[in-house]
Amino acid sequence: MKRRNLLAVLSIEAVLVAMSVLFLFPLLWLVSTALKPIEETMRIPPVWIPSKLMWSNFADAMTYGADKLGYIPFLVYARNTLILCVLVVAGTVASNTLVAYSFARLKWKGRDAMFAATLATMMVPFPVLMVPTFALFRQLEWIGTFRPLWVPAWFGSAFSIFLLRQFFRTIPFELSEAAKIDGASEWRVFRDVVLPLCKPAIAVVALFSFMGTWNDFLGPLIYLLDQKTFTLALGLQFYQSQHGGTQWNLLMAASTIVVAPVIVLFFFTQRLFIQGIALTGLK
Amino acid sequence: MNRLADFALPGFFLAVLATVWASERVVREDQPPGPVRITYWEKWTGFEGDAMRKVVDDFNKSQDRIFVQLLTVSNVQNKTMLATSAGIPPDVAGIFSANVAQFVDDRAVTPLDDFCREAGIGPEDYKPVYWNAVTYRGHVWALPSTPATTALHYNTAMMRRVGLDPGRPPRTIEELSEMADRMVQKGPDGRIRVAGFLPAEPGWWNWAWGYFFGGKLWDGNDRITANSPENVRAFEWVQSFPKKYGPNEVQTFRSGFGNFSSPQNAFMSEKVAMVLQGVWMYNFISMYNPKLEWAAAPFPHPADRPDLARTTIAEADVLIIPRGAKHPREAFEFIRYVNSRKGMETLCLLQRKNSPLTDVSEEFWRRHPNPHIRLFDSLAASPNAVGVPKLGIWAEYSAELNNAFEEIGLLRKTPKEALDAVTERMQPKLDQYLKRLRLREQAEAPR
Amino acid sequence: MSKRKHNLVGYLFALPWFIGFSVFLAYPLAASIYFSFCDYSVLKKPVFIGLDNYRELFADEVFWITVKNTAIYAAISLPAGMVMALGLAMLLNAKVPGTTFFRTVFFLPSLVPMVSLAVLWLWILNGEHGILNEVLRMVGIQGPNWLGDPAWSKPALVVLGVWGVGNAVLIYLAGLQDVPTSLVEAAELDGASPWQKTRHVTIPMISPVILFNLIMGIIGTLQVFTVPYVMFPGGSPARSTYFYAMYLFDNAFLYNKMGYASAMGWIMFLAIFALTMLSLKLTEKHVHYGGGGTA
Repeated sequence: MKRRNLLAVLSIEAVLVAMSVLFLFPLLWLVSTALKPIEETMRIPPVWIPSKLMWSNFADAMTYGADKLGYIPFLVYARNTLILCVLVVAGTVASNTLVAYSFARLKWKGRDAMFAATLATMMVPFPVLMVPTFALFRQLEWIGTFRPLWVPAWFGSAFSIFLLRQFFRTIPFELSEAAKIDGASEWRVFRDVVLPLCKPAIAVVALFSFMGTWNDFLGPLIYLLDQKTFTLALGLQFYQSQHGGTQWNLLMAASTIVVAPVIVLFFFTQRLFIQGIALTGLK
Repeated sequence: MNRLADFALPGFFLAVLATVWASERVVREDQPPGPVRITYWEKWTGFEGDAMRKVVDDFNKSQDRIFVQLLTVSNVQNKTMLATSAGIPPDVAGIFSANVAQFVDDRAVTPLDDFCREAGIGPEDYKPVYWNAVTYRGHVWALPSTPATTALHYNTAMMRRVGLDPGRPPRTIEELSEMADRMVQKGPDGRIRVAGFLPAEPGWWNWAWGYFFGGKLWDGNDRITANSPENVRAFEWVQSFPKKYGPNEVQTFRSGFGNFSSPQNAFMSEKVAMVLQGVWMYNFISMYNPKLEWAAAPFPHPADRPDLARTTIAEADVLIIPRGAKHPREAFEFIRYVNSRKGMETLCLLQRKNSPLTDVSEEFWRRHPNPHIRLFDSLAASPNAVGVPKLGIWAEYSAELNNAFEEIGLLRKTPKEALDAVTERMQPKLDQYLKRLRLREQAEAPR
Repeated sequence: MSKRKHNLVGYLFALPWFIGFSVFLAYPLAASIYFSFCDYSVLKKPVFIGLDNYRELFADEVFWITVKNTAIYAAISLPAGMVMALGLAMLLNAKVPGTTFFRTVFFLPSLVPMVSLAVLWLWILNGEHGILNEVLRMVGIQGPNWLGDPAWSKPALVVLGVWGVGNAVLIYLAGLQDVPTSLVEAAELDGASPWQKTRHVTIPMISPVILFNLIMGIIGTLQVFTVPYVMFPGGSPARSTYFYAMYLFDNAFLYNKMGYASAMGWIMFLAIFALTMLSLKLTEKHVHYGGGGTA
C-alpha cells in the first residue's frame, strides 16, 4: 500500500513537471527573445540562450517611436491603461458590492425575477451589443474619450454580481440582525459588518476586472481614436504593424513589460484569490 | 455627525469621479484665441510623416490666420469614419484614394466643387488618373496629397549571376516567367532559397493582376466582371508559380521574409529578384540596403497584347474634409497649399514620389534622388494607368479577391472557379447595394 | 421597518444595476433588434428594410464559412480545453509537493494579454524561423507551415487556447477542494479503484462546476476574436481562420453595414442561448447540487 502510494505520487509529480515545461516554454521563449540582439532572433537553428544579454532592449522598446511622435508612446499607453484600470476596478467593486448585497441580503419586490434576468444577460455576447452601444456612446458624444471604457463599470456587471451574491449569502444573517438591534442602519451593516468579511470575494472580482481591463483589446479598438489615448493592449499591435518591420526582440521586450505587472500582482494575491473562488461556491 | 461620516467615503468617491469626468477633454479642446486651429489626421509615420510635418510647418509659417495641428493616426480611414459618425471629425484627414467611394456613399465627406471653383483648381492641373481618383458621381471629393505608380523593380546583380543581361529587363509576361524560373535556387532539402518572381510578394495588389492582362473588375455601372476571360488568364498566370514551385514550398519560403520595412525585406535581402513595387521603393532600398544593385522598368505585358504596354497601378493618398468638420474653409486653405506646386513638390521630394500635377518644375527633376523618377512620372501619364475601382463596396470586393488569390495560391481552386465564386458573391451584393442607395436617395429627396 | 421601506432600501442598493441594466444592456439589445431590420451605417439614419438582412445573411457564403469555422473551432477547443483543465486540476489536487508552484505555472499563460499572446505565438509558429518546428525537427518531424496552411491554422489556435486554460483550472481546483474527504475515504474503504473514485465520487460532486465551465466555455469560444484578429488578418489563409465575431466586426466597422452586423449578433445570441439551454437540459440528470450555497 505504502509503495503504491509513493509510486502514485512520483508519477503525478512527473506528469506535472512535464506539463509545466510545456506551459512555461512559450514564456521562456518570450523572455529569451526579448533579451536577444536583433541578428540572433532570426537565426537557424534558433539561439536558445542569447550570446549577450541585451537589457537595453527593454529601454529601446519603451522609447520606441518617441523620436517620431514627440512623446514616449509606451509610457503614455501605460499611463492610460493604469488610469482606466483604477477607474474600472474602483467602479466594479463599488457598484457590484452594493448590488450584490441587495440581491443577497435584502428583500424587495421583483428581486428574484431581476436576478434571473441578470443571470440570463451573462449569455449576451459582446458583439451583439457592439453596434447599438457604439450608437449610444455616439449620441452621448463619448467617442474618443475613455468614458465608454470605464463609466459602465460603475453600473454593475452580471458576472461580478453573481459571484459576490453567492459569497454574501454565506455570511450568517444573525450578524446583521445583531447589528441592526444595536441601531445600525442598512448602510452601516453593509459597510461595517458584511464588507470586511468578504475581502477574498472582493479580491477576486477586483482582479478579474483588472485583468479584463488590462487585456481589453476590442473596446479601445472601437472607442479610442487618438494615439495618445491608446492603451497598452492596443499599443502592442501598433508596435507590430506600424513600420511593417517587426523587430521581434523589441516587441517581445514590450510584451514582457506588459505581462510582468499582471504576473507580479497574481503572485501577491494568489492565496486570497483561490480562497475567494473556492468560497464563492462557483457552482 | 455619525450620518455625515457615513457618507464621507462615497462622497469622496463621487468628487473624484466628477473631477476625472470633467478633466477628460481628450478630443474636444477649447479654441484658444489667435489663429484658427484645425486638426489634421494622417496615417504616415517615419520619413513620410516627417515630410508632411515639414509641409504643415511651412504652411503654418506662411500665414497667421490658420494653425494646422498634425496628428498621426493609425488605421486612419476607420478612425476617421468612426469620428465623423460620432460628430467629432478632424478638419482634414489623409485617406487612400481607394476609400473615397465608400466615404462618399456613406455621406462622410464634404464635396469640394465650390472650393475648387473659387480657387481655380480643375482637371487640367492634374494627371488624368489622379484627378479621376478624387472625383466620383460627378463631384470632386478630395485632392491628392502624394501619388504613386508601380513598376517592376529588379535586382541587376542577381540577373548577372544567372547570365541574364541586366540592361534588358523582361518586356513580356512570358519573358518574366522564364527569367524568374532561371533565378530560382533550391537548397539540398528541396526548400526554396531564392525566387525570381512571386506574384504574392509583396501581396498588396492581389486584386490588380487582371488589369495587366486587359481585364476589368466591373463595367463601371452595375456589373461585376471578376470572371472575365482576361481576369481568369491573369489568375492562371498567378497560379503557374505555386504550380511550378509547390504551394507549400512557396508558403514556407514566404513565411521567412522579414517585414516590408526592414533589411529582411524579400527584395532587399535578395530572396526575390523581381517585384512589383511603387515609387517609394527607392527610399526603402536606400535606407536598408543602399548597396543593392537594382533598376526599374514598366511591368511587362502579355506578348499577344502589346496594347497593354506600360500598364501601371496608380494610387494616391488623398486629403478630404470630413462631413461635419468645424472649419471647412480653413481646411481647404491648407489642402490648397498642399496642392500648390511649391507645397506638392516639397512633399513629393521628401517622400520620394512623383508629382500628381501636370506642371512640374525643373528643380524637382534635378533634386529628386530616385534615378528612375522620370519612369514613374511617365507611367502616371500612360493611357494604361489604372486606379482602384470606384465602388462603395470595394472594401468587401477586395477582401473577396484577396481570398480568391489565396485559394488559387494554395491550389484549392482553379482560377475560373475562384473568380466565378467572387462574381457570384459580389454581383448580388452590388445589386443590393445599388438598390439601397436608390431607396435612400428617394427617402431623403425633398418632397 | 415597513415593507415599503424594505423595498426602497433594496432598490437604492440595487440602483446602479437598474441603471446599468437598462442603459447598457436592455436598451442596446432592443436597439439591435430594430437595427437588424434596417439598412444602417453609422452615418446614415436607419431605414427599415424588413427581413432583408436575414435573407441576405442566409444566402451569404462567407457567413456560412464563418459559422462553420467557429463551430469546428468550438467543437475541438472546448472539449480539449475542458479535459485539459480538469485533468490538471485533479493532478494539482493530489497533494503532492510543489502544488503552489505548479498552480502558478498553469495560471501564468492566462495572465498574458491576448495581443501579446497572439504575437508571441505568431513568432513560435512561424514556418521558417519558428521554434516549434525547430523542436519538431530535432525529433525528426517536418513541422507544417502552421500559419500559412489552411489545414493547420485552426489546430494552431486550439493549441493556443489549451495553453490558456489556467482560469478554468483554478475554478475546477476550487470545486475539487470542496469535495468532502469523508466521501472519498468512504469509497476507498469500499475498495474503489482510483478510476472508480473519480468516476463515481469526484466527478458527480463537482458536476455543477463542470457545467459552469462548459457554459462559460461555449460563450467564450463562440466569441473568439482578438487572437485570430491579430494573428490572421482577414482570416487568412483562405479564410480558414475567419470566425463569426471577426466577420461581424468587419461588417460593422469596415463595411459599415451595421444593420447586417446586428442581425449577425442576434443570430449569435440565439445560438448561445439555445446551446446553454441544451446543456442545462442534457445535464439536468447528471448535475448534483450537493452541499450549501448553490446558485
